[in-house]
Amino acid sequence: MSDPLLDVAGLAVSYGGTVQALRGVSLQVQAGTVVAVLGSNGAGKSTLLRAVSRSLGAIGGRVTAGTVRYDGADLAHTDTSAAVRAGLVQVPEGRRIFADLTVEENLRAGGHTVRDAAARRRAHDDVLDLFPILRERRHQRGGLLSGGQQQMLAIGRALMTSPRLLLLDEPSLGLAPQLVDQIGEIIKQINVTGTAVLLIEQNAAMGLRVADTAYVLETGRITASGAAADLAATDEVRNRYLGVSEPGEQPASCAPAPAPRATVTLTTQTGAAQTGAAPIGAGPAEAQPRSEHRLTVAELTVRFGGVTALRDVSFTVEPGTVHALIGPNGAGKSTCINVLGGAYRATSGTVHYGQRELTGLRSHQVADLGVARTFQNISLSLEVSAEDNLLVGRHRLMRAGTLAGALRLPRARREESEHREVVRGIADLLGIGHLLPRPVHTLPYGDRKRVELGRALAAEPSLLLLDEPVAGMTHGESSDMAAAIASVQRRLGLSILLVEHDMPFVMGLAERITVLDFGRRIAEGTPQEVQRDPEVVRAYLGAAEAAA
Amino acid sequence: MSDFLDSSRLPDLADRPARRHPARRVSARRVSAGRRLALVLALVVALGLPLFLNDFWLQAGLFSMAAIVAAVGLTLLVGTAGQLSLGHAAFAALGAYAYTWTAGDTGAAPAGLGLPPLLALVAAAGCGAIAGALFSPISGRLRGIYLGLATVGLVFVSRHVLVNASSVTGGYNGRRVEPFSVPGFSFSNSEPDYLAVAGVEFEGLHRLWYLFVLVTAVAAALASNLRRSRSGRALASVRDGETTAAAMGINVRRAKATAFTVSSAYAGLGGALMALAFGRIAPDLFGLQLSIDFLIMIVIGGLGSVAGAAVGAVFVTTLPLVLTEYGADLPFLAAPGSGGLDGATLSRFAYGAAIIAVLLFLRGGLAGGLGRARSTLRDRRRAPSAGADGQAQPGRQADSGTAKDPGTAKDPGTAKDPAGPADRPEHELPSHSAPAVPSRSKETSA
Amino acid sequence: MSYLLTQLANGVSIGLVLGLVAGGFVIVFTSTGVLNFAHGSVVLTGAYLVAALQPDIGFWLAALVATAAAALLGVLVNAVLVRNLAEHNPATAAILMLGVDTVLLTEMTRRIGNRILPLGAPWGADVVSVGGVTVPTARVVAAGVAVVLFAALWFLFTRTGFGVAMRAAAADGDTASMMGIRLSRTGAAGWALAGGLAAVAGIFLTSFPTQGVAPSIGLTAFAAIPAWVLGGFDSLPGAVAGGLIVGVATALTVGYEDDLQVLGRGLGEVVPYAVMILVLLVRPNGLFGRQAANRV
Repeated sequence: MSDPLLDVAGLAVSYGGTVQALRGVSLQVQAGTVVAVLGSNGAGKSTLLRAVSRSLGAIGGRVTAGTVRYDGADLAHTDTSAAVRAGLVQVPEGRRIFADLTVEENLRAGGHTVRDAAARRRAHDDVLDLFPILRERRHQRGGLLSGGQQQMLAIGRALMTSPRLLLLDEPSLGLAPQLVDQIGEIIKQINVTGTAVLLIEQNAAMGLRVADTAYVLETGRITASGAAADLAATDEVRNRYLGVSEPGEQPASCAPAPAPRATVTLTTQTGAAQTGAAPIGAGPAEAQPRSEHRLTVAELTVRFGGVTALRDVSFTVEPGTVHALIGPNGAGKSTCINVLGGAYRATSGTVHYGQRELTGLRSHQVADLGVARTFQNISLSLEVSAEDNLLVGRHRLMRAGTLAGALRLPRARREESEHREVVRGIADLLGIGHLLPRPVHTLPYGDRKRVELGRALAAEPSLLLLDEPVAGMTHGESSDMAAAIASVQRRLGLSILLVEHDMPFVMGLAERITVLDFGRRIAEGTPQEVQRDPEVVRAYLGAAEAAA
Repeated sequence: MSDFLDSSRLPDLADRPARRHPARRVSARRVSAGRRLALVLALVVALGLPLFLNDFWLQAGLFSMAAIVAAVGLTLLVGTAGQLSLGHAAFAALGAYAYTWTAGDTGAAPAGLGLPPLLALVAAAGCGAIAGALFSPISGRLRGIYLGLATVGLVFVSRHVLVNASSVTGGYNGRRVEPFSVPGFSFSNSEPDYLAVAGVEFEGLHRLWYLFVLVTAVAAALASNLRRSRSGRALASVRDGETTAAAMGINVRRAKATAFTVSSAYAGLGGALMALAFGRIAPDLFGLQLSIDFLIMIVIGGLGSVAGAAVGAVFVTTLPLVLTEYGADLPFLAAPGSGGLDGATLSRFAYGAAIIAVLLFLRGGLAGGLGRARSTLRDRRRAPSAGADGQAQPGRQADSGTAKDPGTAKDPGTAKDPAGPADRPEHELPSHSAPAVPSRSKETSA
Repeated sequence: MSYLLTQLANGVSIGLVLGLVAGGFVIVFTSTGVLNFAHGSVVLTGAYLVAALQPDIGFWLAALVATAAAALLGVLVNAVLVRNLAEHNPATAAILMLGVDTVLLTEMTRRIGNRILPLGAPWGADVVSVGGVTVPTARVVAAGVAVVLFAALWFLFTRTGFGVAMRAAAADGDTASMMGIRLSRTGAAGWALAGGLAAVAGIFLTSFPTQGVAPSIGLTAFAAIPAWVLGGFDSLPGAVAGGLIVGVATALTVGYEDDLQVLGRGLGEVVPYAVMILVLLVRPNGLFGRQAANRV
């Protein structure tokens, strides 16, 4: 076999010296092949891609060990621009087209490094042939295109350099099934012309369908690799990335990729129990529900510019229950949480918490009704101690004003020490009591997640919104978190609405599940019901598989 | 609230060892004891200095302390709340004139109200606060540097008013400032006409020195209390992410307006002290340069820290005074006006160069630099017993330190800042690159 | 009537020149995220260089050299200082520029002293009269040059590859660099453009009816800040519109100062800032600004 076009060996990357994103990652891309890297949120996929395209510096990452060789040359001292000139181009995650520039100008910016005007014109024509819709709309601003068209523009923009190796960061993100299939076809077409593709995907079905070789990346390490077809058939991959398992059925080693049947079931509660999370639905809540309010979402629609993120979504969270919102990437789950929390405005539809209508309230007013939340990307004050971060959660329960605080009036001091005591109690029950004096930026990822949960609990909510509480956690951490959440919920009788990709986690914790796909509600029910729902299976596996 | 501590309701997670680290607690207390010692020392020095200083240095000290008060207020706004203001000269001017007018003689040329100076000092801070509050429709809605630019206008508008409202301000030429006094004692050269301590005659400058020390110490203490109070935490939370702060029940607009109001009150008080130190005020004292100087003080000193603001204020205030006063003694300097390098020019150069040097070489300003030097020293001293301290947990980090994919934004859920990895210190002001419209992909893009 | 027209003509001309200065603020801000508080002293430096060089090499050559030198000055400030900040964020970068401003302004003040240097421009103190409206020739030339320069900027940013790359870099630097666009180059180009525009503006700000080059010009250029803020921080058309609003408002206030006695003397100096505060009360993001300013 000839030398690989791209050879990554023992790569380690850290952010700011405290967070290790990749450890000892090795992979190869042969010229003219398609390689997929699969992994869930927080696995380090984008970090890997940026390490290859030399764009880590822009986000504060640093390669601490290992090498990246492209076409035989070490890229260690190469900048992004030089890599692009050598034919190594990345399409960034989330499309990131230049919204204020026209389609034509976007392509022009993509071809910036091409000196030869004739070559540029050729590439330009090829791109417009590949994406006829872009030719049609080439004088419109990029921001006016639909999601799928924006993805095409992002890919087309990168193709303007006629690359030898194209790096694609989650091209299927937030696209409708037909579009995902279309993007898959496009990748194959690009590959036919001899361009190698390194593809990062959470949508394992799509990744495995187009790739020759695949790697599985989990919390910064490669945990599986092989021919895409073989990988698609392993239980490991099916379980974790297709969200399915087929008990009792041996994977066929040479089956065409991928080979799930329509009879798949989602991981059951038994599986979750092994992880340590106590099933909640089994018995009645042990405490009086703190929440007597029902959260009612009715026909909620949210649009951003031309993109509809949520369309007529309705569901109800009963007092004192755990309700999960699941769905593939881009299904609109986080948008939904953000509307409930008051961060986004609903285009139409209503949200009621008890008698109060939340739509129209500002975030802090929603919080005052006893709704607390965590964030998908941890959002803490990094320079400040964990204790003070937790105390921010107490804000709505404390009364001392600015003047009282500045003068340290006895009232304010008493309040301060009482609330510090409460915060210590909360921290101890989450197992982060010993971390309280430390500035948050010195804490590892998992602890930050727990500090953030602690801050939300400190607000003594009756409804807790958790946006991906275990994203990027190892299996052990994830089950610890599940145990903590279950326990807190049971004792305090909170209502919890959670968004999560980790299926065992969700199945173990939630009493009811609403499934979103492309902004629509496609199913709702108990975990068991949802697992058997053909629509859900289709959403997770893609149209092609469900039809098979 | 207390039901959260009611053990019967506590989750059974309590069987986790509630780890406390006595060693850490003790060391934290030791640090704060060291701090207290430093503060006491500084106070003793401040109280004893007038016995040894000549008039030039006393005057420099008064100017410095006036600047400290204003700078401490500005650092609450910029460092703690993440808002910028270039309009603080206007609030300082307001405070200065409010004091002068309130305490001024009823019969003098620009007349005053003839009220007690103590009341006038309170009025100065109050007027600053009110003016700051009136600006809240703008200060509550704009953030960071945008607010900074908008406030530039305040300086010019206030100058216009000062020049034209001459019945109160004395117009271009300004007006004399009534010395501070309490019944029976004046902080000037008279009443009592002769006062001596340890053989040093205490004149107006000496007496004012003690008033200034008192006001400055109280102002600094209040600011540092505020930073550690509920309101202070709310401000810092707004700075670190408005979406998150709002989700915790903090009214972001009100928090920003509060920060601006408090900060303006400090500027007003600082302005009144400036008036007392100068003895005569005119509109030109409160130009844009003063606003800029305030800002430079807190950045050079180290954003957000009260001590840093103080160090920066002393540095920025005394440098030009010293270079102008002692410039004549430097052999290479030319006479003023000769086109060569004179003392005043040199001091401007030194001032500009110092700003540039600090920003290029000292992360966290003078205070940051000092802090790092101190902790380096401490670490070196502690090195032999490092293992016993129980604070290092490298193993834990290696197990779980998994980065979320790049781009952990300071404001998750809405704007995604591509330049915000999980752990980069993000106390900086908001970047201008926040995308205008949240695209759908953002919610899942990490 | 002709008096009003004269004031308007003056206002438009000055407004266009302020637009050049404000455009410099916008370009530096969008390409490198820096609030260039030293922009005023770059304007002064450009004008000074023309005045200092023109006795020896003539006005036109001096203007050319000064423009190039101001552009180079901008590039150097960016490369040597801004890019080497210990903490790179908008606040420290802005303060750094205040430091640079102090040094530049001090040097210019030292060189110029109390003098007012003649610019030696060929239009001198000539005036042009059309239909009863009399304007200084310098103002007419200024308006013409500004319009030509704005057209050139429009061409650069929409019709050339490098200009499109600059806009891409300004919109999303991270993505632009993935396309192989070197941010160091687009940044340098931004500073160079701003410096050149500043020098040209400096020439017209010191032309008749202004007496010549004096250090106070640096502060005059400061009036472009309200123009910039009015326009909305990141929009070139906004800078032009802001400049026009400020220019016309100032010219009218100065022209009718006698009728505005109630508002006090020297109203012309405050008007730009008063207008800015009023506009921000209604539109916190300025007239052409995107939502960036107050969006969370």
